[in-house]
Amino acid sequence: MNKVMLASGVALMLSTGAAHTAFAQEKTLTISVYALAQDEYKKIVYTPFEEKCGCKLVVETGNSVERIAKMDANKANPVVDMAVVSMADALSAARAGLVDKIDTSKIASYDKLYDIAKDPNGDGMSIGYTFYATSIAYRSDKMKIDSWADLLKPEYAAHIAWPNVTTNQGPPSLYMLGLALGKDTPDLAAPIEAVGAAKDDIVTFYEKSSQLVQLMQQEEIWAAPIGRFTWAPFAKLDMPIAWATPKEGQTGGMNVMIVTKNSKNRDLALQFMDFWLSADIQSKLAEALIDSPANSEAKVSEAAAKNLTYGEATAKSLKLIPSAVSLDNRAGWLKSWNEKVGQ
Amino acid sequence: MFQNRAEALALALPAALFAAAVFIVPVVILLSDGFRAPGGGWTISAYTDFFSSSLNQAVFLRTLKLGALVTIVAAVIGYAAAFAIVSLEPGAKGKVTGLIVLPLMISPVARTYAWIVILGRTGIVNQAFQALGISEAPLRILFSETAIFIGLLQLFLPLMIISLISALENMPKDAIPAARVLGANWFQVFWKVILPLTKEGVVIGGTLVFTGCLTAYITPAILGGSKVLMLETLLYQQVSVSNNFVAASVIALILIVMSFAANILLKRVATARNKTTRNTKGTA
Amino acid sequence: MMARNLFIPITLGLVIAFLIGPFLIIVAASFSAGETLAFPPQGFSLRWIAKVFTVESFRDSFFMSLFLAIGGTLAALILGIPASYALSRYKLPGAETIRTIVSAPIIVPGIIVGLSLLRYIVVPFQVGITLALFLAHTALILPYAVRVVSASLGNLRSDIEEAAVLLGSSRLGAFFRVVLPNIRGGIMSAFILGFVTSFNQVPVSLFLSGPGVRTLPVDMIAYMEIVFDPSVAALSALLAFMSIGIVFIAERFLGFSRYV
Repeated sequence: MNKVMLASGVALMLSTGAAHTAFAQEKTLTISVYALAQDEYKKIVYTPFEEKCGCKLVVETGNSVERIAKMDANKANPVVDMAVVSMADALSAARAGLVDKIDTSKIASYDKLYDIAKDPNGDGMSIGYTFYATSIAYRSDKMKIDSWADLLKPEYAAHIAWPNVTTNQGPPSLYMLGLALGKDTPDLAAPIEAVGAAKDDIVTFYEKSSQLVQLMQQEEIWAAPIGRFTWAPFAKLDMPIAWATPKEGQTGGMNVMIVTKNSKNRDLALQFMDFWLSADIQSKLAEALIDSPANSEAKVSEAAAKNLTYGEATAKSLKLIPSAVSLDNRAGWLKSWNEKVGQ
Repeated sequence: MFQNRAEALALALPAALFAAAVFIVPVVILLSDGFRAPGGGWTISAYTDFFSSSLNQAVFLRTLKLGALVTIVAAVIGYAAAFAIVSLEPGAKGKVTGLIVLPLMISPVARTYAWIVILGRTGIVNQAFQALGISEAPLRILFSETAIFIGLLQLFLPLMIISLISALENMPKDAIPAARVLGANWFQVFWKVILPLTKEGVVIGGTLVFTGCLTAYITPAILGGSKVLMLETLLYQQVSVSNNFVAASVIALILIVMSFAANILLKRVATARNKTTRNTKGTA
Repeated sequence: MMARNLFIPITLGLVIAFLIGPFLIIVAASFSAGETLAFPPQGFSLRWIAKVFTVESFRDSFFMSLFLAIGGTLAALILGIPASYALSRYKLPGAETIRTIVSAPIIVPGIIVGLSLLRYIVVPFQVGITLALFLAHTALILPYAVRVVSASLGNLRSDIEEAAVLLGSSRLGAFFRVVLPNIRGGIMSAFILGFVTSFNQVPVSLFLSGPGVRTLPVDMIAYMEIVFDPSVAALSALLAFMSIGIVFIAERFLGFSRYV
């Protein structure tokens, strides 16, 4: 009995070991991305690229901050070759010495990108591949949203979810609330105070936007600030849900690509980025309602454009927090958030 | 009993060394991080810093409170359930015990998610409350301490029931009838006969439940979220959002100390009760 | 007397409803035709159950979890059986210390185990994530293996093997011919308990994930961060039925519950 178990255990371990060595003989590129829509990415980006380069893609997923923390832990011997992260996290990775300047001469699609995507942080260390608007998804039969401050009205506050300050949507939403309150200081003191005053009413400070669809469907919430890239499932719900156009405008963010310092597959990583940024792939990602294109030559149908944040004019109109402001204030935001809201 | 020491050590050491190498050494290094001074040397400033924050104090007290509450309620329900099970016919007993153990086989992820549906404003609990006229408007249960309490209780109640079943089964069969004959009421029977005789079951069950509450991550993360942090969710936030490993190490040691303390306390309480019982017996 | 007769069914009914109810809702939700988890389910369909099998990462992480559960439990038994034997049959110096060391992994929060392994084993020694997960799961199962096997050794009278040794058998021979066949049920029970514990384990594995390597429960959480459809309910229900099936078979043939 025991011998059989032992033998099967050894066989199991050997077979996984063998699989690993088979891996190593192939050219592999390790990428680190957001966990969003991986099935579609695989179909549109990863598999076609693997066929083109004759290499193997290994994909790590997770949120931006978590993945940067892991890159930092593996600094001496990098595992990941390229990553896509938020603009601010790209700057933080650059400051921590985790990334290299990107050799744009090797990226043919570079010249076709919108100007704002070419070098978002102005340090040559990142390239934008998509951008999105952040506004408020709300039940149009239950409430009327004209301003970011409307969310905190006493009759609404018990029916909203607000993004936690640690999420990508948190600081931009607070920034817009600050604009609505007429007090937009970089420390976000006034909006954090305002959210803190309503904290007992607010249903939850969400960290995972996917949960919001469930909460909306259960009528646990009527409204929440979200990024446009999570809009599609809300539109599918059998409820009157609208996308607000508050008078202060919309905020949002840009996601960027970075290459790891000391990556052993630099050229392959650049090839992959060029592939992802090409008009063809960017059009396909837009049609699948995943990413708004940053490539000006990408073609997007009207139906898709309606569901995405589309076009250079829109991109320019978004009120974004500069990466440096975001990085320099992050610790302070978290501290005052924890004091006013966290307990 | 065999006497050969070398042989015994050869058999036992691989397991002990393995646990020490992969488990104890890394954990001890992690814990020591919380005492390292920035310039070298040792300090407890990380701990004083941690407890000086009012957020951390609140989270610590909440974790302690919920852990204790879940343990106590689990013990009360556990006694009732274990009693009922022990008095069943042998065949039915096995089946019911199987149903009680069943949830332990199911992923905590799934078990916790079900509560989001059940406890929501339009969930079945609120529907039932409104239908029965207990409440007018739907109650807000999700993302509160109540939600975490319910989730944890469901997660760990089976451990308490199982511990109590075996304790009750090992109790002398005539103890309860004897006490009744001597004129004790049910409360006295429980307090003076059953509790002392099943104390080991409560200590084991209580330690399992309390430690479980301290170490559960998914339940507080999903049912409480960042609005109702517990030490475990705070620890995860410190590591993955703030990259603050010192704070994580501080929380880790607090959690370990809390579970050890609970075990010792429960043992004390159980033996203390036992002593008073013996004394009353002596004077009677 | 009437009150007592009612007490038993009412208590058990309520407790079982509380413990099993959420699981039934998960099962019901997995047959829903709607887009989100809901109870009562909106319509009936098998689409979410079908979807489980099309999500590629679920397949990879399922096999990863299966490998960890089987491999980790076997390793824990290979370490744990001799240790349990030594603890119950020998006068061992420091027996209490050894018992404490091997059962320590139960007391320490899993999230701390995962984190310390990542920081002090994976990073400094360049250990692969798969190996780290394997080590962590083995350490985690070890306490259960030692506890269950010890209990089963305790039920077995030690004079049988002593007699075998007196009759000229070597101690190793006595162990394999006399002891092992008699604690087979205990070993299988330890195996099942270890398997289920490892398979459902989240906190230890939370920090131990790398490119392409993730356990199934962690993958389910990651999936739910992005999509919140009933496919996770469907997967949970399928996994639960798998665990229940294994336990049922074990109970049937081995009397599993005697050892747990």
